[in-house]
Amino acid sequence: MAKPKIATAWMAGCAGCHMSFLDIDEAILEVVKLVDITTSPITDFKEFQPVDVGIVEGAVNTTKDEEVLRELRANCKILMAWGDCACFGGIVTIRNMFDKGDVFRRAYIETESTVHGKIPSSDELPALLDRVKPANHVVKVDCFVPGCPPSAKAIYHALVELLNGRIPVLPADMMRFD
Amino acid sequence: MKEISLTIDGKKVSGLDGDTILDVCRANGIYVPTLCELKGLTNVGACRMCVVDIEGERRPNPSCTYPARDGLVVSTNTEKLEKYRRLILELMFTEKNHFCMFCERSGDCELQAMAYRYQMDNVRYPYTTPPLAVDSLSENMVIDHSRCILCGRCVRVCGEIEANHTLDFAKRGWRTIVSADLSHSLGGSSCTQCGACMQACPTGAIFSKFSLYKTRPKDCQQVNTVCPICGVGCELTVLTKDNNVVMIQAPQPTGEKGPLCRMGRFELLANGHKRITSPMIRDKEGKLKECTLDEALEAAASRMKKLGKNFTGVISARFPSETISLFCQFMRQAVGSSRIDTMGGEAYRVIAEGNKSFNKKGDGLDTECSLDEILKSDCIVLVGADPVKTHPIVGSFIRRALDQNKAKLIVLDAANDVMPLRRNQWLRPKAGTEGILLNGLINAIVNKGSVKGREPSAKLVQSLSQYDASRVYADTGIEAADVELAAETYGKAKQAVIIYGQGVWHTKDTGLVISLLTLADLTGNREGDHSKVISLKPAANSRGAWQMGAAAKDLSLNHVQGLYLLISDEQVDNDEVLGWLRTIDFLVVQASYRSAVTSMADVVLPSPIWAERDGGQYVSMDGHVAKSQKVIEPKKGLLQDQEILRDLSKKLGYELSSSQEVSCGQT
Repeated sequence: MAKPKIATAWMAGCAGCHMSFLDIDEAILEVVKLVDITTSPITDFKEFQPVDVGIVEGAVNTTKDEEVLRELRANCKILMAWGDCACFGGIVTIRNMFDKGDVFRRAYIETESTVHGKIPSSDELPALLDRVKPANHVVKVDCFVPGCPPSAKAIYHALVELLNGRIPVLPADMMRFD
Repeated sequence: MKEISLTIDGKKVSGLDGDTILDVCRANGIYVPTLCELKGLTNVGACRMCVVDIEGERRPNPSCTYPARDGLVVSTNTEKLEKYRRLILELMFTEKNHFCMFCERSGDCELQAMAYRYQMDNVRYPYTTPPLAVDSLSENMVIDHSRCILCGRCVRVCGEIEANHTLDFAKRGWRTIVSADLSHSLGGSSCTQCGACMQACPTGAIFSKFSLYKTRPKDCQQVNTVCPICGVGCELTVLTKDNNVVMIQAPQPTGEKGPLCRMGRFELLANGHKRITSPMIRDKEGKLKECTLDEALEAAASRMKKLGKNFTGVISARFPSETISLFCQFMRQAVGSSRIDTMGGEAYRVIAEGNKSFNKKGDGLDTECSLDEILKSDCIVLVGADPVKTHPIVGSFIRRALDQNKAKLIVLDAANDVMPLRRNQWLRPKAGTEGILLNGLINAIVNKGSVKGREPSAKLVQSLSQYDASRVYADTGIEAADVELAAETYGKAKQAVIIYGQGVWHTKDTGLVISLLTLADLTGNREGDHSKVISLKPAANSRGAWQMGAAAKDLSLNHVQGLYLLISDEQVDNDEVLGWLRTIDFLVVQASYRSAVTSMADVVLPSPIWAERDGGQYVSMDGHVAKSQKVIEPKKGLLQDQEILRDLSKKLGYELSSSQEVSCGQT
């Protein structure tokens, strides 16, 4: 019987949650015995295919992030959010306190090490959404693993629960927002 | 107390008449979540986490404010109630800017813990992201309004316990913000910097600049000790990590001494002072150079041997009694000198002489009443004292009496107004005429027939008759009406307390002390041997130092040839004292920090700070005996003060007695 398939993606995130996932160290060998990791920032697949579980890290910050999120949502049966950014918006939401124009000026012109800065304006670049949002404010998310990052133990626990056919809610002793 | 019986979650439980439903739940081991409640403060039902279903009520009610009654049927944890609690948490998290990942309170935060408990792993409401300020303008504390859940615990502790009413809510609805006075910012406000708000705050909204990011309280060791500063004798819980003092808290934050004060909570953390890490000696070029302990002790001992009975010793009264006692033994037996005094000794002598000539019993400092009397009083007279500056807890006791007992406050001071917004009268006699004013008050009380205590002798009445209104006005500048009003206020009070301070003993006039005691005596403000007259003695162990006989003698302090000064971590910044120290031929200083004093020393011996000091006995200003604890290990190689005394004594050929057990009688 075919192994269940997993795909992961990161949006406006620091990749810390994926690093935390990799912190399960050699247990990843057990994981790949049980599931197929398809498209992911840590594999070479570039296009999404239909999967059982989609995992997303990072907040929805640009039009590209929203596009990726919607595509993953359309391609998976269960969508899991890793980390404070995907679950709550996280640190990325600091941007919501500021005017978008100010944000661009600060990042591309005013930073101390920038000389002759210019705000990029190509049509090929994704646009900044008006507000940063958590994943579940854009699409339906079925399962949340908060943390900054969530511990490897919490991620592993959530995956094992899913593989056993249960949608997990983290118990209080595995929950963290930091 | 009448017992009542109610049903909670299907179980029959009992409580007491006057309990709230929350009280009954707690007494019966039933958990109800709370955020805005803090034991010792009035419950306000602000957060709504504790809401319960009560049969007969149309909607959930907060159990923290709802009075429990016989026969109530209550449900505390239905599915609907648990859902409401989860919604409240989600509303709180989306109302402001809660970033746990860089908040120093993360891991110790009541809001976060509650969210974990309710397994809040996402929020359904959009974020409002209000642009809220971080207020870091005050001396010791920062308020990050983004983290505030408007529970009001800071407002209530500032109002009910510290009684300073600095904090309150400003604006309305979701724009509500905690504000200091009308200006919103804590810096430059009426805030006393006691830190009670910080300890009451359940989140990271109010935090200390010193403790910021050092560690989490749950990763710290905790040691309880007594504060070594002023003499009120507050208990401190000191949090340490890796042998460093990280934070100081009150063991009972809403108790009487709960607020602590800016000195005990923050100044003890002593940032910015340079530690003395090595003994030092002044070399032939006149510069202070590091040396071995042996060299330093030799230099000190040889001069002590030479001067013998002319050598003077002065010890801070912030040391525990055992060290003070050992110091006295050292001076008397090893040096052969009886020229011993403590810092603040002049104060104790004036107070004691006054007390003893009035009472004719006791050791001179043990016939004052307990500080608790202030909390019960309906009239407080402050004479030459500013407790807000010198003994802040006494300041908060006074304010509580003003709030709760509608007490009257009379300030008698030639120079300073104290609590100008709250005092009823400020009698400001011309400098040096305080004694005349006091006698004028006594005369007014006798004439008005306000005598409630001991009847005045004919001799006293006769000697007072010269202090009539016109004489008093001519000498002091205080008008008759004001004298009469003060006399009436004090005389008619049910329970009045006089508090006096440096303004009195600085005059060296024991007659002032006697006048104050007379006032209390005549108006019945006395219980057995104890007068309701409190002197704000300047140090944590003033009483202990006095009991050890360290301040008994008034030394003639002109042209002191040699001085051994043990100050440890006490700061000496009085210009008069510094000027006197400069005149001393040979100065040995045992101190923790570099200062103006150590820079004029001939020999410097390093002293452990309060936290590194071996524990010992402290007697508070009103006679409570407490034992301090060593909190952290001294820096490597640093000896305890007692060990230095022993080594120094050996150099002088004398072996100090081995155990310094101190047993002091209680008052």
